[in-house]
Amino acid sequence: MREEIAELRPVLLRIARMQLREQAWAEDVVSETLLAALEGATSFEGRSQLKTWTIGILKNKILDHFRRSQREVSIDAQVDTEQIETLDELYDQTGHKAVAPLDWGDPEETLSRVQFFDILQMCVDNLPRTQGRIFMMREWLELDTGEICKETGVTPTNCFVLLHRARLRLRECIEINWFQTRTAGA
Amino acid sequence: MPEPTKKIDCRKAHELLSRQLDASLDPAEKSRLALHLAICDFCVRVERQFLALREAIRRLGR
Repeated sequence: MREEIAELRPVLLRIARMQLREQAWAEDVVSETLLAALEGATSFEGRSQLKTWTIGILKNKILDHFRRSQREVSIDAQVDTEQIETLDELYDQTGHKAVAPLDWGDPEETLSRVQFFDILQMCVDNLPRTQGRIFMMREWLELDTGEICKETGVTPTNCFVLLHRARLRLRECIEINWFQTRTAGA
Repeated sequence: MPEPTKKIDCRKAHELLSRQLDASLDPAEKSRLALHLAICDFCVRVERQFLALREAIRRLGR
């Protein structure tokens, strides 16, 4: 069990790095997570169950970090740089979708495929840093936008803009790298 | 006299579809979005896709 938990370190660190700006903070929460996992691990039916449980601990450790630390240096300045991205290429001159979105079919069927989550993770990793961080605070840590603004110093308006852009970017990335590939291969 | 519901394009509809996942839309925005979705199948797809993305992210790492 000890070895299996230790093997999760790289994936935990990658998730923590996305949420916490400082490498040292990420390493701290991952160390705390691994320690808690080692202390609490009893019996698990498989690696998948152990991983899910350990990532749940990490999630709570990251939330604890937010709660006990003062607001990090405002990241609003970084938002300005990322806002140069206009997403104009997604729309035609009349503001309509330039390319018709595919029908993604039954979500449960997609979510039952392990490989889909590799593509999803790749797409999340490719988001601009601030966008990705805010998006994961909202959707993975399930913080509301008020809490995100408090933790990051991003204004509510910028927060909505970043979440919107992240969703559009992820939608495109998943469509191209998962759904189009599968349609082409069918 | 209330202002007639203004039409919105897909770009604006996507912005509202995203924002309604994070906050409440005001009544005028809700009506504009509903009107657009009634005539735009592509944006109905995007609405479903945003919801599927939310579900997928919540299962990430499981």
